[in-house]
Amino acid sequence: MNKTIVIVGGGPAGLEAAAALGSSPHHVLILEKEHNTGGKLKNWHHLFPNFADASEILKSLEKSLPLNNSEIKYDCDVFKMEQMDGNLLVSLKSGEKIKADAVLLATGFDLFDAYKKEEYGHGIYKNVITSSELEGMFVNNSFPDQLKDGLPKKIAMVHCVGSRDKKAGNMHCSKLCCITGVKQAIELRKYLSKSSVYNFYMDLRMYGQHFEELYQEAQEDYGVNFIRGRVSEIAEISDGKLQVKAEDTLSGRPMKMIFDLVVLLIGMTPATSAASIAQSLALPKSGSGFLAPVHQHISANETCIPGLFLAGTCREPLSLQESITDARAAALKIIEWLKLKDNH
Amino acid sequence: MGRLYERLCEDLRCLEGLKSCMNCGVCTAICPSAEFYRYDPRKICDTVQRADDESIEQLLKSDTIWYCGECMSCKTRCPRGNTPGLLIMALRKLSQEMGYFTDSEKGRQQFAIRRVIGDSILTTGYCMRPILVNPANHPEQGPVWEWVYNNLPEVMDKVGANYLKDGPGALRRIAPEVLSEINQIFQVTGGQDFFQLIEEFSKDKADEMCLDAGELGGDNAYFSEVYTKNSGNHH
Repeated sequence: MNKTIVIVGGGPAGLEAAAALGSSPHHVLILEKEHNTGGKLKNWHHLFPNFADASEILKSLEKSLPLNNSEIKYDCDVFKMEQMDGNLLVSLKSGEKIKADAVLLATGFDLFDAYKKEEYGHGIYKNVITSSELEGMFVNNSFPDQLKDGLPKKIAMVHCVGSRDKKAGNMHCSKLCCITGVKQAIELRKYLSKSSVYNFYMDLRMYGQHFEELYQEAQEDYGVNFIRGRVSEIAEISDGKLQVKAEDTLSGRPMKMIFDLVVLLIGMTPATSAASIAQSLALPKSGSGFLAPVHQHISANETCIPGLFLAGTCREPLSLQESITDARAAALKIIEWLKLKDNH
Repeated sequence: MGRLYERLCEDLRCLEGLKSCMNCGVCTAICPSAEFYRYDPRKICDTVQRADDESIEQLLKSDTIWYCGECMSCKTRCPRGNTPGLLIMALRKLSQEMGYFTDSEKGRQQFAIRRVIGDSILTTGYCMRPILVNPANHPEQGPVWEWVYNNLPEVMDKVGANYLKDGPGALRRIAPEVLSEINQIFQVTGGQDFFQLIEEFSKDKADEMCLDAGELGGDNAYFSEVYTKNSGNHH
């Protein structure tokens, strides 16, 4: 018997899961809260570690969406779910209710609000921007005029903004900001060839394929500098220049450096859009508030609610590659589960 | 792990101040003292965290732990919720209890603090009074202070203080029964014994340096030595 599978979120994980479910006889309904699919990927320019064009990847994800059994509803705010006779009843803010045999949460992540780290001055000093805003500048080719006068610029990349930080309420490591900082440092060196770039880091967690190599490339081929120390505060001095304070922990001395631009590498936080859904189902969360699966190792896509599955960064910080793999794994689990349901 | 580390762990300020350090250096980056002295709160956390008694003993005998101004800026920044400033308080206390403070120039100044501020609390009820800031010992205060110092009763009257007189108001004389209560508090809580300990260790050091420490106050060679000595090696 054909069933209805609801996917909440039309980002990379949601799109990939829908594609993977294309071969099943079930009806797949994607509920997307924005006007279009793609999630945060659509605001990204090039991806680490190989500078792949984000828009090309998004296009191919959207293209593989099966036309025969899938449907996308845009501008849908899912705010509640309840269990009903072995199914899940999905409530939208519009008042509409959808009965689903299985639901996949692919609600993604929020970017850390850098203003919460007031000592870094985002939203206060105009030359303090976030990594996401920098991507936007690359996408739209919209760099501020003061960076385009051809003069040498000094740029700081501040790692771990809103990650590994009890004060920010986020003890977790977002794990992708390290490599993003390396990637963006290289891009800045390419774009502003006379500029010098300094990365302020605690640890460089180059866990993925070709990450370490890119780090080495940044140092050897692009002359990117790395200073091991967490930034304590940033203050505007004159002409919009910024004073950055950190300890160079390898030489063991505090230092102050002046920069023209500071890029804050903001981390991943749990999506607020998933909060009310999780609350309505009393879904357990991990320490930092990401949705918790039944078992981190062997049932990473399953939840304690029958028929409710997780994919992508709603569960933990993941790269695009990992999200896509994760979505396929979740799709497989959903098919298995629907088969079981049929037999009962 | 050893004796000193275990004793540090008995101090709540150590337990509260250092849970786990990942050596990010944000405390040193914000520390006003690190900007001025050869001082690095991160390294102190790291040393204590390693639980190696030999390094801890070295720390307790060094000038290092006396550079902190206890402003607690470090508390505002640490991403792990540590407070190196609290750890410093625990280290200082242990250094005083072990007598290690007399091994360093900055540590020896505990003697001057005990004689000046310690005595002042017990005899007058005030930590600090204007009369203690003698222009001869404090040239940095400049000629205006010298004039104020020489005309204290008149200046105090002019600014509306009730200087050394009975009744309410700033810098009033503390009533004898209140003073006796303060002394009792110091007696009962171990403050007096602690002062005595500083005295004894300091006198031993004075003997070792062939300097007289007197019985009271700052009119002696050891006091002058610890009060004015500056090796110039602190920056």
